[in-house]
Formats: sequence, structure tokens, C-alpha cells
Amino acid sequence: MKRYALILALVMALAAGFGCAKKTTSEPGYDDGMTPEMRAAIEQITDARVYFAFDKFDIKPEYKDMLKTKADLMKKFSSIRVRIEGNCDERGTQEYNLALGERRARASYEYLVTLGVNPSQLEMISYGKENPAVQGSGEAAWSKNRRDDFRVIAH
Amino acid sequence: MKKQLLLLALGIVLVLSSEAQAAMRVDIYGPGQNIVNLALAAPIRGPQAEATSMGAALQKIVQQNLSFLPFMRLTDPKAVLGGVVLQGYEPPTLDFKRFQLAGSDIVVTTYWPEGDSGTRPVQIRAFETNTGGRLFGKEYPRVTSKDLPEVADRFCADLLEALTGDGSFFRSTLAFVKKAGKMSANVWLVKPTGRDLRQITNMPGESMSPAWSPDGRFVVFSHIDKQSHALGVWDRASGKVQRIRFPGNVVIGPAFTPDNKVAVALSNGKYPVIFLLNHVFQKERILEGGNSINVSPTFDKTGTKMAFTSSRMGGPQIFLKDLSSGTVTRVSKNGTYNTEANLSPDGTLVVYSRMTEYGHRIFVQDMMTGMERQITFGPGSDEQPSFCADSYFIAFASTRGGHGIYLTTRHGGDAKQVPTGGAAYFPRWGMPGGAKK
Repeated sequence: MKRYALILALVMALAAGFGCAKKTTSEPGYDDGMTPEMRAAIEQITDARVYFAFDKFDIKPEYKDMLKTKADLMKKFSSIRVRIEGNCDERGTQEYNLALGERRARASYEYLVTLGVNPSQLEMISYGKENPAVQGSGEAAWSKNRRDDFRVIAH
Repeated sequence: MKKQLLLLALGIVLVLSSEAQAAMRVDIYGPGQNIVNLALAAPIRGPQAEATSMGAALQKIVQQNLSFLPFMRLTDPKAVLGGVVLQGYEPPTLDFKRFQLAGSDIVVTTYWPEGDSGTRPVQIRAFETNTGGRLFGKEYPRVTSKDLPEVADRFCADLLEALTGDGSFFRSTLAFVKKAGKMSANVWLVKPTGRDLRQITNMPGESMSPAWSPDGRFVVFSHIDKQSHALGVWDRASGKVQRIRFPGNVVIGPAFTPDNKVAVALSNGKYPVIFLLNHVFQKERILEGGNSINVSPTFDKTGTKMAFTSSRMGGPQIFLKDLSSGTVTRVSKNGTYNTEANLSPDGTLVVYSRMTEYGHRIFVQDMMTGMERQITFGPGSDEQPSFCADSYFIAFASTRGGHGIYLTTRHGGDAKQVPTGGAAYFPRWGMPGGAKK
């Protein structure tokens, strides 16, 4: 009996713990209590990617407006935290691509910080060529894989 | 205990005369590589009594091992007049003439004095057929069928050392990465002959760039999960794996220096730089940095030279740093994308991969002459070359016939696949038992 009480107490403690946890997921269908405005902001931040030329990490002019939109939204919703994920196409070698992916993530990071985003809202990682968005060879696939993804990790 | 006895016994040299030591020497390093013709006499239990149990099994493993040596040609037993089942295993009852006539430079005899089933000793000797001089001879006591691969490896290492001065190939174990899916790869070990395949890490995420410590105790590697990069450290003594985080975003391409410290590319401001870590994996000092990408360090056995990849001139190229003087020189001068340098332990060669229009290919540059030579030609992409401790064999990853690990030499030639049972990358040589010398 005592044992059941202990298990029950543990389950309740766990449930209470989950109740207090900061929301860190935006899975579809998940009732996270977000306002429609914030939900739309998260979609705008995550949906648009920055793409790069081969072996390059400079932000092309056509992505600057998009980054400005992300920056404005992040400044408006300061609870949003974003992980910038730098990626490469399959042609380069793995170790060099990890470094290049980091440079790509850093390029977006620095641009967002320059636009006034609090650095504590951002983190970076490079997956090199290990996390392609599109499978296959050829420039059509490669150009989609040389990218920065923006993932909301907390809000 | 049994293993210790076996290892102890491996140190027992039967009788190795000084004149035999000065006998045949094979130049595998020079441009004109010799071919050695070697005959394996049938294993015997007594005069003309063939050992067909463990004797035959050991012979088969030795044959498989020797097939990895591109400079060695095994004599067809049918070409030996009078056959290879001998009257005796050493002079004067050993008939060298029949092997000379078959074109063999060396004959190896295997003698099981107490039979070849159960737990028995075996004596293996190698002779030069022209002079009758013994290259070496050893007894391996208390051999069971389980010990045969180890005995074969020991024998082949000794034979290789007697011929070339270095038996590292058969004493080595490759650490490599085996991929299970997207962002899922773990570190495995395998002998270059394909035996003793085993997984040493079991972590979610992607492991990359394993590297052995010179004492054979640790394998370090980059580990990437969804959130972070870390340095993975597998300790052979405990079998445990640590995941060590560093400030910043990257942990790329760790490598050990000869004094058992780790060099690794870590974040430091805008660009990754190559740090030296101390013996407890904390940052000690910067080995190479600047306003460019600097990754993939690799060292010669003196620890005074470091080859690495840098984007300081635009695209990635290979550079060599003299760590005594601090002088950096460019190694790769052709092509726009050269990466994954690996410095030969003797410091004379740098091997690296170059992006070509057909995929990556592997090149070797002689640091004395500056001459560059292509040693792989695909098909597919050939990457991640790594020198064996002998500065002769090179392992690399290739997409030819699926993602696998292949062996070639500093001279190139036909590549031989190492069986790994799945998509394999990043081969790196090490000697878990420690170097013999």
C-alpha cells in the first residue's frame, strides 16, 4: 500500500513538473496556448531559409529583407529563442563542411544581432552536410541544401 | 592468463642468428617497389605429415592476411615440384631447391610438434630460399583454434617487419564511423584485414573523425547531436564514453599529438581555430588560427610538424606548420578544393583529398621534392585518407560500390576493401596494443 502511495506521489510530482516546464515545442496540433499572432510569428521565422553559394557564407542581398522580418518578430516576441542551423551540400568534405556550416549560421546570427535581436535569443549549430533538406545530386538539390534553417526552440 | 602466456611466448625467439637478420630486405618505400614471391609450405606435424586441423585453418588466415600486401605474391603450391608437404621444417631436411625452381624468394614453414588439435604449440619459420638463411622463427605455445587469428596476425607482423623493417600493418586496428541513418553514426573498430569488427560507441547523433591516442588507450571523435557539438572520448580501459562540451559551436576533427594530447578545431570568435588540449581535455593553447577556417590537424611522429586545412587563401587548401619555428607553408598547389590532410608519421608525405569534376580523389605530396601524385582514381568519391604507422599503407573512405573503407599504399595501386558490414567512413589507424618499437 505504502509502495503504491510512493508511486502515486512520484507520478504527481512528474505531472506537476511538466506543468511548470517552459514550452519548447511547436508540433502541429499541440495546444501550446500560443496567441495566433505568436503562432504566425513562429511560422514566419521558421519557414523562410537563407541559401548560400557553394563554399560561401556571405548573406546574399535577397535574404536581407527576410532576415529583417525575422529580427522584427524576435524583438516583438522576446520569449522566442531560435537555433540557427548551418548546412552544406554534399560536395565538400565533412570536417571542412562543419566549419563552413558554422560560418553560415554565424552570418545569419550576426546579421540578426546587428538588427537588434538580443543574442540570448539565438544559438547556432552546424550540421555540415549531415542534415540535407533534399536528397539527390545536382545543383537543384545542392542549392537547397546550402542553407540556414531557423528553428524555434522556446517561446 | 592464457593470453598473457601467449603474449609472453611471442617474445621468445627460437634462434635468430645475426646473419639472418642482415638477410633479405624489401624496399617498399622507394619508387621501384619490389615484388616478393613467397611460398607457404604445408603445415606439418612430422616428416611429410600434413597438419590438417588447426594447421590448415592457420594457413588459410595467413594466406588471407598476406593478400593485403601488394608487394607480395604467393607461390601457387602446384608450381612447386615435389609439392609443399615437406620432410622437414628447417635445414638440413628442408629442401630449398624446389622453392627456388618455383621462383619463390621466401619459404615459410609451420610445424606443430605435438599435433594440431586441442591446445598445442606451433613453430613458424621463414627462410630465404637462395641462401637458406632464416629471416625469423618463433614458437607460439598453447595455441587453440580461438587463438589462430591472433597468431596469424603476430606472424604476419613479424614477417613484414623482417622484410621491410615495420610490421605495423598487422598490429593495427582501424577506428571508423559506421552510419545507421541521417544524423546517426557511431564509432567502430576493425582490423585492417576485416577481423575483430566491433562497435565501441552507442550514442544518438552523428559521430565523426575518430582518432586513436598513440598509446592505444583512447579514441576521440567529434559528436554532433541536434543541440550541440562535443568531443567524444572512448576509454579502452573502462569501455566508457565521455561527451565533453566546449564553449562555442564547433568541435571538429580531433587528432592526437605524439605526447597523447588532443588538437581539435574549436570556436574562437568568428572562425574555428586549432586548439591544443591538455591531458584532461581542457584548452591549453592555440596551435593555429586567424581570420579563416582552420581545421583537421594531423601530426608527424615527432610532433613538430602539423598539416591542416585552411581557407586563408580563399578555398580550402592544405598547409604545413613547423611547430618549432611557427612557419606555415602551403602544401597543395593544384586544384581549388583540397582538404582532409594526413601527415605520414615519418613526416615525409602528406596525403589529402581533392575535389575534381568526377568526385574527390586522393593525392600524395612528397615533402622533400614537392612532387604530387594522384593515388586513387575512383569510381565514386575517395575521401578521408589516413596513413598507417608504417607511413606506407593508406586507408580511405570511398563511395565505389557503396560507402566503404579501402586500403592502398603511398604508391597507389589496386585498392582492397576492408569488410565493415555497412556504410563506413573516417578510417584512422591505431595500435591498441601500443607500438612494438
